[in-house]
Order: sequence, then structure tokens, then C-alpha cells
Amino acid sequence: MLFLIGIFILHISAIVLLLVATIDNAWWVTDTMRTDVWGRWLKINGVWNLTDLPTGTDYPQDYLHAVQATAVLACIFSFIAAFVFLAQLFTLPKGQRFTITGAFQLLACVFIMIAASIYTNRFHVKESQGSYGHSYILAWIAFGLSFVSSITYFVLRKKSA
Amino acid sequence: MLAVLVSIVSLGIVAQQCQAIVIYTGWERHALVGSDIRLSCSFFSWRWTSEEVTFSWTYRPDGSRDSISIFHYTGGEAYLDNKGPFKDRLEFVGNPGRRDGSILIKNLDFNDNGTFTCDAKNPPDIVGRPSSVRLLVFEKVPIQAGVITGAIIGVVLGLLVLVVVIYYLMRFLVARRVFSLNVSKHGKKKKEGSQQRQGPAPPADPSKVKAAASEKKKQESRKDKK
Repeated sequence: MLFLIGIFILHISAIVLLLVATIDNAWWVTDTMRTDVWGRWLKINGVWNLTDLPTGTDYPQDYLHAVQATAVLACIFSFIAAFVFLAQLFTLPKGQRFTITGAFQLLACVFIMIAASIYTNRFHVKESQGSYGHSYILAWIAFGLSFVSSITYFVLRKKSA
Repeated sequence: MLAVLVSIVSLGIVAQQCQAIVIYTGWERHALVGSDIRLSCSFFSWRWTSEEVTFSWTYRPDGSRDSISIFHYTGGEAYLDNKGPFKDRLEFVGNPGRRDGSILIKNLDFNDNGTFTCDAKNPPDIVGRPSSVRLLVFEKVPIQAGVITGAIIGVVLGLLVLVVVIYYLMRFLVARRVFSLNVSKHGKKKKEGSQQRQGPAPPADPSKVKAAASEKKKQESRKDKK
């Protein structure tokens, strides 16, 4: 019972980290600029203003769309995995593994890995100023957590409820 | 009874004679340079469409405060712009009898950016507010932000739903085929399986055997869940 709660908490924390990584705008930060996959905040005269992401050869639009889509899909799949886990908890026959939950969580893990990898490879390659912000780091941590979570679901067997 | 109904309806008509005519156009239209665009205009009025219905379109360029009249339909005749910026480019494609006063502008140019206002009158219902549509002419039709992202997400989720549906379909089909092949074996096994079951003895009819076998399978899975 305790084990199940622990697994579920791990799953929920993966979801929370994924959401924060997707929504919060701190993938790349400098002193006056914070940016993520959706927009860019610039500090002009002490006031933060939201501007559009730059378009150009340094900021390929198609890769940006790919990062956006895969990040959102990772959140969605993790959500679906949580609901499927609850459903399987009550309907799975004894001794079976939570394969479908594990599959969804693995998909979420792969998608956030794709998102973070594309971002690392294609964006901010030549910029000397600034560093990766907390959303980016949380994305990678969420990748790790969801990977562990999915492996657990693949290995875990249902005992009598 | 009929008198009450007639009085209510006539009261309704009298009350709504005070309502104004309502004119509908689009809000904003996007078009490519060199293409044609149809600006639609239609109205709602509690009166029947009269013979003297009129439509008029005026145009106000972007950044200007003056508007000029470019189209007028009255007395069954359409009068198009023959001196202004839309000379030889306008065409009336509406149907006044159906309350449609749409015009077609051909061969758009960047100078056609602006606001087009349609005013319709349906005598005696003439009190109304003209409606405006904004025309934006582009060199290349822009894709709104987020459309591509949303499309990718939608496609992946759609594939997921498709996979789930196909999986359940295959399971259903395979189960049916298995039932039709092993019908007699199933019946004997389930009879000897458990003493708690209360299903009927499998009859000779094959369709009834299938139904009975599926019933027993349901009971079995229910017992497993407990």
C-alpha cells in the first residue's frame, strides 16, 4: 500500500515538473531577458515586457514548433498515464503488470527528452550571454523521473487490492 | 383558444415592430494580392423583404477618415463604382430577394486595405446600424501563431486514439472468431469449472451457445475482480 502511494507521488511529481517546465518562462535567462518556448520577456527600463520570439536563422521556426508540441504532448501523456494508472489499479487482474500505464509514461519521457534535446541542439548555440534557466533543468529532471516511473510500472505486479 | 393565440401572435408582431433592422457582415477578411474576395452582407428584419429594399457599400481606406460610396442597389437595379478606386473591379453577386447584398472585388491590391461598410434598408424597417468588415491584403497568407504546434499535437493524439480503437477492435474480432471455433470445448469446460455458477446448460443452438459463453466469461471476469 505504501509502495503504491510512493509510486503515485513519483508520478504526480513528474507531472508537476513537466507542467512547470512547459509553462514557466525560464528556459534561457540573462540579466534582462527570460525566454522559453512560447515568448520572450525583456526588461526594458525596469519593467518586464512580453515580446514575440525572434524569427530568423538563429531561431528556426519549425524546430520551435517541434519543441512546443512535444513538450505539451509530454504533459498530456503523463496526465493520461495517471488516469490509466488509477483505472488499472481497480480493473487489472491479480499478478498482471501495469504495462499500459508504463507505456504512456514512457511516451511522456521520450517526448520531453525530444523537446529538451532539440532545444539544446538548435537554440542559443552561439549566444555567449546567459545560461539555462530552471524550467530547462526541470525538464531534464522530469525526463529522469518519468523514466524511473515508467520502468517501475513495467516491473510492478498487481497484488490483491 | 384560437383567438387567444392570434392575439398573442399579433401582440408579438406589434411589439417587435419597434425592433431595428440588424445587418451582418464579416468582422475581418484576409486575402492575397491579385485574388478576388467576396464581401458578404445580409440583414435580419421582422418585416417581409420589400420591393424597395436597398443595399449600399462604402469604403474607407486604412489611415483615412473619409469614406466614399462604392455600391448602391435600389429599385431592383445595382449601381457599381465607375469613377473611384474600384472602377471595373466590382461585381454584384448578391440576391436581394434573399436578403443578400454581397459584392465581389476582383484583382486585389495593397491599396484596397481598409474598412467596408454595408448599410441595408428594408422599408418601412429602416432604423439600423451599418455593419463594417475590415479587409487585409497580404502577399502571403500568414499562419497564425500556434496553428502548426496545435496541428502536431492533434495529429499525435489522433494517432493514439486510432491505435486504441484498432486494438480494441482486433481484440473483439479475435474473441468472436475464437468463440465460433471452440464453442463446444468452452461449454464443457465452464460446466465443470465451478459449482457456484448459475448459468443455463448450453443448448444445441450455436447462437445461443455463443451468448451463453459470453455471459459465463463476463461472470468469470467479475469474480476475478472481486
